[in-house]
Amino acid sequence: MSTSVSSGMLLPTPDTRRLLIKWVVALIVPVVVFTLWSGESIINAVISPATAAGNVPTDPVSLIEAAIFTVVFYIAVLLLAGYLVAADTGRRSIIETWADVLIFAVVPLILIILFGLIIGLALCAIVWPLYILIKNQIRKARHYTPPAPLESLTVIDAEQRAILAGRATAGSFWFALAFAVISLVVDLVYFFSGSLPVILLIWAIVRTIILPVAGYFLGRLAGQIALRRTIPEKGNGNGGNGAHRGKRVASVQQQLEALSTTRVREEAKDLVPNDLPLRSSGAQRFYLILLVAFVLFYPVLDPFLFGSGTDGRLAGYGDAGYYVILALGLNIVVGFAGLLDLGYVAFFAIGSYAWGMIGSTQFGYITGIHVNPQIWPWFFWPMILGAALIAALWGVLLGAPTLRLRGDYLAIVTLGFGEIVPIVFLEMDKYTNGTNGIVGVYSPALPGVDWSSSTPYYYLILALIVLVIFANVRLRDSRLGRAWIAIREDEIAAESSGVNLVRTKLFAFAAGAFFSGIAGAYHAAKLGSVSPDNFSFGDSVIYLAMVVIGGIGSIPGVIVGALAVYAINVLILAQLDSLAANPNNFLYPVHNAIAAVFPGFTFGNIRNLIFGVILVIIMIYRPEGLIPSARRKRELRHAEGDEAVEIGSLDVPPGAPGFEDEVRVE
Amino acid sequence: MSVKPADSGEISGAARGALLELVKVTKQFGGLMAVQDVDLQVRPREIFSIIGPNGAGKTTVFNLITGIYRPTSGDIRFDGKSIVGLSADRIVSSGISRTFQNIRLFNNMTVLENVLVGQHTQLKAGVFGTLFRSRGFKREEEAARERAIELLSFFGRALVERQEEYVINLSYADKRRVEIARALAARPKLLLLDEPTAGMNEAETAEAVRYVRRLRDELGLTILLIEHKLMVTMGISDRIAVLDYGRKIAEGLPEEVRRDERVIAAYLGKPTRNEQATMDEKAAVDESATE
Repeated sequence: MSTSVSSGMLLPTPDTRRLLIKWVVALIVPVVVFTLWSGESIINAVISPATAAGNVPTDPVSLIEAAIFTVVFYIAVLLLAGYLVAADTGRRSIIETWADVLIFAVVPLILIILFGLIIGLALCAIVWPLYILIKNQIRKARHYTPPAPLESLTVIDAEQRAILAGRATAGSFWFALAFAVISLVVDLVYFFSGSLPVILLIWAIVRTIILPVAGYFLGRLAGQIALRRTIPEKGNGNGGNGAHRGKRVASVQQQLEALSTTRVREEAKDLVPNDLPLRSSGAQRFYLILLVAFVLFYPVLDPFLFGSGTDGRLAGYGDAGYYVILALGLNIVVGFAGLLDLGYVAFFAIGSYAWGMIGSTQFGYITGIHVNPQIWPWFFWPMILGAALIAALWGVLLGAPTLRLRGDYLAIVTLGFGEIVPIVFLEMDKYTNGTNGIVGVYSPALPGVDWSSSTPYYYLILALIVLVIFANVRLRDSRLGRAWIAIREDEIAAESSGVNLVRTKLFAFAAGAFFSGIAGAYHAAKLGSVSPDNFSFGDSVIYLAMVVIGGIGSIPGVIVGALAVYAINVLILAQLDSLAANPNNFLYPVHNAIAAVFPGFTFGNIRNLIFGVILVIIMIYRPEGLIPSARRKRELRHAEGDEAVEIGSLDVPPGAPGFEDEVRVE
Repeated sequence: MSVKPADSGEISGAARGALLELVKVTKQFGGLMAVQDVDLQVRPREIFSIIGPNGAGKTTVFNLITGIYRPTSGDIRFDGKSIVGLSADRIVSSGISRTFQNIRLFNNMTVLENVLVGQHTQLKAGVFGTLFRSRGFKREEEAARERAIELLSFFGRALVERQEEYVINLSYADKRRVEIARALAARPKLLLLDEPTAGMNEAETAEAVRYVRRLRDELGLTILLIEHKLMVTMGISDRIAVLDYGRKIAEGLPEEVRRDERVIAAYLGKPTRNEQATMDEKAAVDESATE
């Protein structure tokens, strides 16, 4: 097979051979696991729907979507293979790379296959830190030091560019070939055991031919992508007089043309070639493609991946989604502006009631206006903005009295608001129907969409999350975001730099409340009812826990934090009892053993205890959160002194005891 | 407002040409008179120093001018208008920037970001421009970055190269420079420097003295300075005011102040040079009430 496409480039030199073995093996394991798990069944269902398993969708739209996902997936993986081979300096050991891929790709896949998506990922959040811990221990024990960072950027000349391009082509090609051969062998085994229809055998043969060809061309493309991240030689060619051949150092001038020294160091991580290609931003682009394709087509893929029960799972993700929005909103207040808010649930309640009272027959009951159930659901779309604005207004009103307060005092006052607001809704029973709450809240309306299933809510919350992330990122990287961080760092310095404390803090409260208003309106529409006991102090604490566990001030961090806390709290802990009721589950004997000592014991009794213990453990071992922001990481790790501080600078930060003495000594 | 050189020791009646004028300013903390009936006139393009023993109320005067405190009585005028009661950020917009005795940078922001925060009053982008990344927003951000780098380049190449560094990693002298760059970012007319050479060695001090002069000569700023090192004050100042126990006990040209008996008695102790230096070193910190 290989000889038919072979060219000089595809027959690797010994150097390239090592890289090829490294990356082909690293990538093929997770891809084969995924393919055997679901990839294959998706393709089979697309090619011959008649032979598909009972529970998977067979309508054309779903199949086309599934097919698109599959094609995008395998193309991205082939490109990634080529890119990684080209981008690797080869200075890190093969074993280390394999271990990384095993832990960060294969283990999650297996955990997800065994336990489902959210619980699987939550377990990964436990496995990953453990792995890093063990890895560091082993390194320490073996006195291993990673290769010194490339201290300067290297220029890649025409000859080296050709080598890199060749490596990328070879990488994709050999990867595709290996994958094709493995798949073919598996299919042949199935065929001879009689469980493979002929049409699929024909496909298997076609695939075996297509894959290497696709690999060859995608590899060339990957090579071009990789070469874009190199530093090309300047035309005049006087770069390296006397420097050893092939490793010319970019001139200082060149390095500083647009970059500061720090940035050079940062940039070097992402350049081709580098030491950790898996973590480079070039590779991250491919992960992003995979992630977007997965999230976008998830409702179609779910039955292939996890079997029956899709609607229930999607409903769960729809709930997890509004937690993400709440965490992102609270992150503005707590993470960016540094204002500890313990009553964030108040704004969520206001947003929920905003749609609850307007988007239901309650509105007609209050105002006497006839509520037409054909038209009324349409108001959801303007009201999602309306609810957000109402919440933001209350954010300003409630924020105003707290402006002079800081830290603990602020927290107590916001705590009060969190208690007052649900009680107000409870007591205004003339309008809010008191303890019973409002039922029959309308779903949104959209032509041709059936809101009784969970899929539209999945896409709605996905769209909302994307918008909220977008707004968050833009606010953070602007004058307004800088002002928030400045007042978090030092209020006096901020106002002496011209930042208006009142306006900046109120805007932080308003922005935070705005996003929780969006989440609230969504929540009311999805649940179909609103009642005061959905909004307790405990919820505020959970939201705060999401932000802190994820990483204060870090946007990706709080997203992960929200999902992790949702998974732990709602999906795992809430279901312990039902799991323990199943005699086949490992919790069954555990439960019986405890119940023998403490009669009447249920896991529900100690649910909060377990949750609390998990939080404490996370905070002890990872105080900066799961994905810390760069600033926060610095802040917490600085005390340990692993940061290189320039000689001649003082160790004591301003304001710390002992600082003044140190400054005075001259 | 005419720019006239600080020429004479004439103190009284200078109000007309003053950029900053303090009239009988008093600040009382409970029973403690931190600042009492202080009159000051700082003229345009002048380097004016405030000296005095510890606890004399020098930093309190700075905090009064910059709106961190409100005077108990008296008036503070800047550019002819009273700035008493304005919030600190309004005072920055009116043209007064400051640095702090114990450096208050935003430690977990980069050098560049610190200077960008300093430009807060100069930037106008609103919520909608920010969210939709309007053309105006982009242009403004671009210009702000360029200006920040320009301000950093006032102190040479070193800070420009370290613009992406978190300030907490900088050397002490570099932090001082970044703080001044941040203050300059607000386009002030008057710059208040609170002990700009504290914690610096001799070479760094000499350099600091040079750039303080350049701030006046090249950027046309008026500078009000608190300084402990007499060598610095005497060499750099056009005029000096001496505070003791919250009162102004002397004012005039460096030479006059040096010879003033009240000053010698209150601040310098004995008039020998060695003794002065010792005093200087032992001088503990002026109670910084901003903490």
